[in-house]
Amino acid sequence: MAITPAISIGELALRAASAHESVPERPEIEREVIELFDQNRNSLLRYALSFGLPAHDGEEVAQETFLALFRHLQMGKSRKNLRGWIFRVAHNLALRKRECNQRAAAQTESHENRAVELIDPGLNPEERVLFSQRQQRLMAIVQALPEQDRCCLDLRAEGLRYREIAAVLGMSLGAVSMSLSRSLARLIVEEQR
Amino acid sequence: MRNENTHPSDQELLMRADGELPRGAVAAVDAHLTACWNCRARMAEVEAKIAEFVRVRREGLDPTLPPSAGSRAMLAAQMAELSKAAPRRMRWKTASFFADWRFTAACAVAVVLLAVALAGLKRENQVAVASAYGAELPDRRLTPGATRQVAIGEICAVNHEDVVSLVPDTVRHEVFQEYGIRNAPADKYEVDYLIAPGLGGAEDIRNLWPEPRFDATWSSFVKDQLEEYLHESVCGGKLSLQTAQNDEARDWIAAYQKYFHTREPLAGDSKASAQRAAWILEPWASVLKL
Repeated sequence: MAITPAISIGELALRAASAHESVPERPEIEREVIELFDQNRNSLLRYALSFGLPAHDGEEVAQETFLALFRHLQMGKSRKNLRGWIFRVAHNLALRKRECNQRAAAQTESHENRAVELIDPGLNPEERVLFSQRQQRLMAIVQALPEQDRCCLDLRAEGLRYREIAAVLGMSLGAVSMSLSRSLARLIVEEQR
Repeated sequence: MRNENTHPSDQELLMRADGELPRGAVAAVDAHLTACWNCRARMAEVEAKIAEFVRVRREGLDPTLPPSAGSRAMLAAQMAELSKAAPRRMRWKTASFFADWRFTAACAVAVVLLAVALAGLKRENQVAVASAYGAELPDRRLTPGATRQVAIGEICAVNHEDVVSLVPDTVRHEVFQEYGIRNAPADKYEVDYLIAPGLGGAEDIRNLWPEPRFDATWSSFVKDQLEEYLHESVCGGKLSLQTAQNDEARDWIAAYQKYFHTREPLAGDSKASAQRAAWILEPWASVLKL
């Protein structure tokens, strides 16, 4: 029968302390989340808004994402590629939020009004006027892209590298590269028409 | 292997621009770009389109981004709240650690000590919970805001102050319970409407939260200033009712800062201060992008 080696109280404390090190203390996690919030909040919000969500919904998506990040870190889960992780969570939340909004809008608004909302998210009438025709056209082309292509383009515009985009959208690296190239070619061709 | 005389595809050009090309292919593509005007022009076209897309996207989206200060403060408060609600569990490295009788005995002693300590700290703990909820912004999950069907004429027919209705005691009790507040001094909080009744806010628990009265920079009195201003703006046709409701529900502090053009609450008579600030800054608002 194997004999368990005797462990002193000091060793017990040492083990507990070393186990403790793997998950940082709570205030440290909070500081880390706030730091990531400061670095990524606007990018994340822009990405959420690119789904055609109104500003307050986009903000809710960003807020929920950072709270989810807090829980994720609090539970001692993987810290690998946290930027990609938060964008993936925001992507899923934004999709869900948009679905809810579309269901609600289907009951109250005409299809035509909804289409305008998707092209021109959250802009007030003054801002719409300021938005030049050329800019509107470009954004309309982007909105008309297949959803995955538009997401690739928006994520790249927020500074994500190909491997990060691949992780957020569950695509291969090659597919990300092809998607970006295809979308830019489309923007160039459409503009020349 | 890539030949430097072969024209790179659009995809390869973009990958080169993005620094995503495999290391082995970079030199050949670069050598080709140096030699080929056509491909350099294609590359420039791609880069120009990227720059245009990024600029247009920012111009379209950035003005709609709400200020981050309110969300940041709310996130910090929510994290503190979550930490209190579910303390982090310690992770252990080995199962055998649990099997050790000394550890078990130590745990038993710790549990007894903890129970004694908890009993002694119960009262302090309740006060601590209460103060944690003394946030200047409500918890959006509990208080997202709720409105009732109103016509502009209906809310503008009376002064803002006259629309304010008292919250019944039973509802106040429910709100405190929802926010986990017990034994809080009676005058510490005002159970306030997130969207004011004068702006179509409903008497609904989703529209009520315990707002700090005195010991906060952004107290219920400051919020009253905002509500008065919003009510006048809506009734004066300067602001849509929906925008006023959204602004109040989303982040009333940010709304105050936006409409009163200040980072800190204004002292003194709210109406006069707001009108003064708006009158002075209005001609400059578009220039300063306020």
